[in-house]
Amino acid sequence: MLELKHIYKWVNTGNNRTFLLKDINLTINEGEFVSIMGPSGSGKSTLLNIIGMLDGFNEGEYNFMHESVHQLKEKQRSSLYKQYIGFVFQAYHLIDELTVYENIETPLLYQDIKSSERKAMVADILDRFQIVGKKDLFPTQLSGGQQQLVGIARALIARPKLLLADEPTGNLNSKQGEEIMELFSTLNKEGMTIIQVTHSEKNADYGSRVIHLLDGMIEKK
Amino acid sequence: MLRNYLKIAWRNLKKHKLYALINMIGLGAGLGFALLIGAYVWTELQVNQQLKNPKQQYLIRSVWKNANQGFELATAGPLAKELYVNYPNLVASYYRYDGVTSNVCMGDKCFRESLQIGDSTFINMYGFKLSEGDAATALNQPYTAVITASTAEKYFGKNPALGKILSVENFSGGKHDFLITGVLEDAGYNSVSRLIDDYPTSIFVSDKNLQFFGRNMDWSNPFIVNYIELKPGVSPKDLDGPIRQQISQNAHPFIAANMKTELMPLSELHLQANKGLIRKMLYALSAIAVFILFMAAINFVNMSVSRASTRMREIGVRKVAGGRRWQLIMQFMTESVVITTFSMIMALVVYMLVKDLAESILGRDLPALTSFPLHFAAYIPLGILVIGLLAGIYPALVLSSLPSVEALKGKLQSVKENKWLRRGLVGFQFATAVIVFVGALVIASQVRFFFGNNLGYDKEYVISAQVPRDWTTAGVNKMEHVRRQLTALPQVQSVSLSYEVPDGNNSGSISVYRAGSDSTQAITSVVLNTDEYFAPTYSIPMAAGNFYQEGAVTDSTRMVINATQARALGWTNAEEAIGARLRIAGDPVIYTVAGVTRDFHFGSMQQAIQPISFIHVSRGLIFRFLSIRLKPGQTSQAIADLQRQWTALMPGTAFEYKFMDDTLRKLYKTELQLKQASQLATGLSILIVLLGVLGLVSLSIQRRTREVGIRKVLGASVSSIVLLFIKEFAGIMWIAVLLACPVAWWLMNGWLNDYTYRIALSAKPFLMAFAALGGITMLLIVVQTIRTGLSNPVKAIRT
Repeated sequence: MLELKHIYKWVNTGNNRTFLLKDINLTINEGEFVSIMGPSGSGKSTLLNIIGMLDGFNEGEYNFMHESVHQLKEKQRSSLYKQYIGFVFQAYHLIDELTVYENIETPLLYQDIKSSERKAMVADILDRFQIVGKKDLFPTQLSGGQQQLVGIARALIARPKLLLADEPTGNLNSKQGEEIMELFSTLNKEGMTIIQVTHSEKNADYGSRVIHLLDGMIEKK
Repeated sequence: MLRNYLKIAWRNLKKHKLYALINMIGLGAGLGFALLIGAYVWTELQVNQQLKNPKQQYLIRSVWKNANQGFELATAGPLAKELYVNYPNLVASYYRYDGVTSNVCMGDKCFRESLQIGDSTFINMYGFKLSEGDAATALNQPYTAVITASTAEKYFGKNPALGKILSVENFSGGKHDFLITGVLEDAGYNSVSRLIDDYPTSIFVSDKNLQFFGRNMDWSNPFIVNYIELKPGVSPKDLDGPIRQQISQNAHPFIAANMKTELMPLSELHLQANKGLIRKMLYALSAIAVFILFMAAINFVNMSVSRASTRMREIGVRKVAGGRRWQLIMQFMTESVVITTFSMIMALVVYMLVKDLAESILGRDLPALTSFPLHFAAYIPLGILVIGLLAGIYPALVLSSLPSVEALKGKLQSVKENKWLRRGLVGFQFATAVIVFVGALVIASQVRFFFGNNLGYDKEYVISAQVPRDWTTAGVNKMEHVRRQLTALPQVQSVSLSYEVPDGNNSGSISVYRAGSDSTQAITSVVLNTDEYFAPTYSIPMAAGNFYQEGAVTDSTRMVINATQARALGWTNAEEAIGARLRIAGDPVIYTVAGVTRDFHFGSMQQAIQPISFIHVSRGLIFRFLSIRLKPGQTSQAIADLQRQWTALMPGTAFEYKFMDDTLRKLYKTELQLKQASQLATGLSILIVLLGVLGLVSLSIQRRTREVGIRKVLGASVSSIVLLFIKEFAGIMWIAVLLACPVAWWLMNGWLNDYTYRIALSAKPFLMAFAALGGITMLLIVVQTIRTGLSNPVKAIRT
C-alpha cells in the first residue's frame, strides 16, 4: 500500500542541522495494523504526519497506492489523502461549535458529497458506533471515550483505506482505551489498514507489527 | 494599587500591540473628529456672545407677504431710530446701516470693500473696542471712517492707520477722501459687522455720508438693517404695538400693507439664520460625531470582549490569588482609560493636522488648541475618564465574571460569550457606515446635478467681474464703451453688462401685469437689469422672439421675460407673448415683450424657477458686472489680455474676475460643505468599520486556529477556510444593509425634498455603497485569513 524509501527530515537551527527522521525505509501492506513506538521526541508523530501527507520531508521517496507522493502537487496530494486517509487524534480535535452529527459530517462536506447521501452515511456510522442518541450533543457534553468514538467515526465516515491514529487512547482511562483498541482490531479484521502511534505495549499488542523509533531512526523491525 | 494597575495595563498594551494600535487609531480618529465638530459647534455658539448685551439686542427682521417683495434682514429705514426717539422708556439704543459695496483705493492700491453707512451709535452700543482712535468721536464727522484691523493691515501693513486717507467711490462716478479715525479690534464673528456671511463689512462710515453715496434711510426704503437694544425688563412683545403704529403712520403704503416685523435677539440670530440652516447643520454634525465616536467605542468593546479567552488564565490566576471582582473590574477599567488617554493624545494631534482641511470644509475658522479658554483643558482628562469608563465598563464586567478558575484547572477551554451582542454592535457599525456612505453618494450626485447640464444656460468659459458704479446714463454709456473694447479682444466671444449674474442675488422684484388688465392681477417677478448681450453671453436659448431686439437696443421699453413668467401671465405658448404690452406696478411706462427665454436657473435649485423680467440697463441704470464669454482654449492668455485692457480702460479698478463655476460654488456653499463633510465622515466610518473587522477577524483566527487545523486535516480547501471567516460577517452585513437601506432612503429623500429640482433616488448609490463596503471588508478578511488557510495544520493541532 505504501512505501517509504530513505526518508530524511530535518530542521536547521542556526548552523546545526537537527534530524527528526533519518533514513526511514518502511513498507506497509494493505490490511496491516502497525504500531509505531518509541520515547518522546523519537519522531513517531512526525513519521505519522508524513505518512498522512500533513507534513513534508526533505529527502527520499514516498509511494502511496502507486503514486509518488514526493512528486505530487499540493492539490493532488490533498485529494489523495482526502480519498484514502482518515485521522484520529489523542486530543480528539472535535470542533466545539458543531454537534456530534455535524462533526462527523464535515469531511463529507469537503468532498462534495450530496446531502441525501451524506445523511445516509452519517446515520449508518452513528448506528454502527451506537451513538445515535448523542448526535445532537456538543463535544463538551460527552465523556472522553465518547468524544474519541466520535473522532473515529469522523475519520471513518469517508471510507478511507488507511486509518492513522496518534495515541488514540492517550487521554482516556484504561477501560475506555480498551474499548477503542477493540474497535480498531475489529476494523482491521474488516480490512482497514491502521497505523497507530502509541506509548503502551499493551496497545501495541493489538497490532500485527511494531516499529520502534529512536532518535529518528527505525531501531528494529 | 493604581500603580500596579497602570503597570499591568501598560504591559498588556505592549504585548498585544496590534489590538492596542487598532483601538487607539480607531478611537483617536473618532475623538479627533468629535473634537473638530465640538470646536465648530462651540465657535458657532460663540457668535455674538462677545457683544455687549446680545440678549437685549435685537435685529428687526421683516416678514413679507411674498418673499420676493423685500429682504428679510432689512426693514424700513427710520424704524429703529423713531422707536428710540418716541419710546425712550422701552428702547435703550439703536443702530441702523445701509450696506453697500464700493471701490476703495489707497494710491493705486484698490479693492472692492463692503461698507456700512450707519449711525454713530455703532461702536458704543456693542462694546466694540478701537485699537487706534477715539471711540466716542470716531464716527461723528462726514468723510471719516472706522476700518477693521484686517483692512488696516491690507492697506497699510504694520504701520498705524489712524489719520491716513482712503479714497472711496460713490455710485455716480465721484470719489472722496475719507480720514481714518479708528481701527476696530477683531471682535470675533458677530451679526453686526458680518450680518451676511459672504459680506463681512470692512469699513464703517457715518450716516452723514448718505448724501455722498446718493443713499437714504427714508420710510420708503425697506433695505436698511435696523438693530435696537431694549431696556432691561422690556420684552419684544412690548414693542409690537409701537412698531405697528410707526409703520402704519409713516411707511410707504406698499410696505405697510405687505411687511410685518419680528424682533430677533442677537443671541439667537445666528443659529436661526437661513431658516435655521445653521442650527440644523450643528445638530446633524453633532449627531454624526456622536455616532462615529460610538462606532469607535464599539470597536474597543468588541475587541476587549473577544480577547476574553486569551486572558482567561490571567484572570483565573488573579482570582485564585485572592483578587476580588471589583478589583478586576478596576484593572480592566484602568486599561481602557490608558488606551483612551493615548487615543486622546492622538486625537489632539489629529485636530492640529486636520484643522486646516476642516476649516475649508466648514467654511469657518476653528480656534487653535491654544486659543480655547483655559478651563477647557480640564475637559480633556474629564473626557478621557468618561469615554474610557463608558467603553471599558462592559468588557470589564464580562471579563471579570468569567468562570476563570475552572479555566485554570483546565476544565474550560473556550468562553461562552454573548455573540449576539457583539454581532449586533458590528451590524450597527456596518449599518451606520452604509447610511453615511449612501448619504455621501446621494449628496455628491445632487451637487453634480447643480453643476450639470440642466442649468438652462452654458456656464463654461464665462467669467464675471465687478465694475465701478456710475449709475447714470453717462455711466452706462461709458460701460458700453468698455464692453465694446473688451469684445474686440480676439479671445473674447461676447461681453454683457448687467446688475445680476446667475447667482440668485438680484436687485429686487416688480409686480407685472398685462396692460389693460387690472393691477390686482399682477404677478411678482424677479428683475434682471441686463443689456442685450446677456442671453448670447450666457447662451440662454430663446423660446420665442429676440432678446430685446436684433442689433443694438434703441428702445428701452422693450422687455424680455422667461417662459415661467409667460405662463404666469396666461400665455400657454411663448409665441403669443411676443408684442404683448406689459405694465409694472407704480410705473406709467408700457413695456413691449420682445422675447421669451427658455427657463434657466437664475438662483438655487432649492427653489422653483421664478418669473423673470429682463429690463434693459439703459432704463434701470444700475449695473454691477461685466460677464465675459471666452472662446474655448487659451484661457490664461485671454485673462491676461483682459486684465491689461481692463486696467487701461478703467484705471484704479481691480479686475477681480470669477469663473461661473466659482460663482455657483458660492451659491451652493452649504451643499458643497455638506458634501465634503459627508465624504470625510464616510472615510472615517469606513476606517473604523475596517479597523473593527481587522481586529475581530484576527481574534477570530486566533480563537479558531485549532478548528481550522482540524478542518484542514479533514480535507478543507483554502477557499473553504476563508469562506468560514467571511460567513461570520456576511450574515450580519446583510442584515445591517437591509436595516440601513430604508433609513438611508428616508433620510436622503427628506434631504432631497428640500430641493425643487432634485435627482431621483435610484438603487445605484445603495448598491455602490454596499458593493464598496462589502468588497473592502471581504478583501480585508481574505487577506487576513488566507495565511491561516495556507498554514500547515500540524502546527495548529499539535497537542
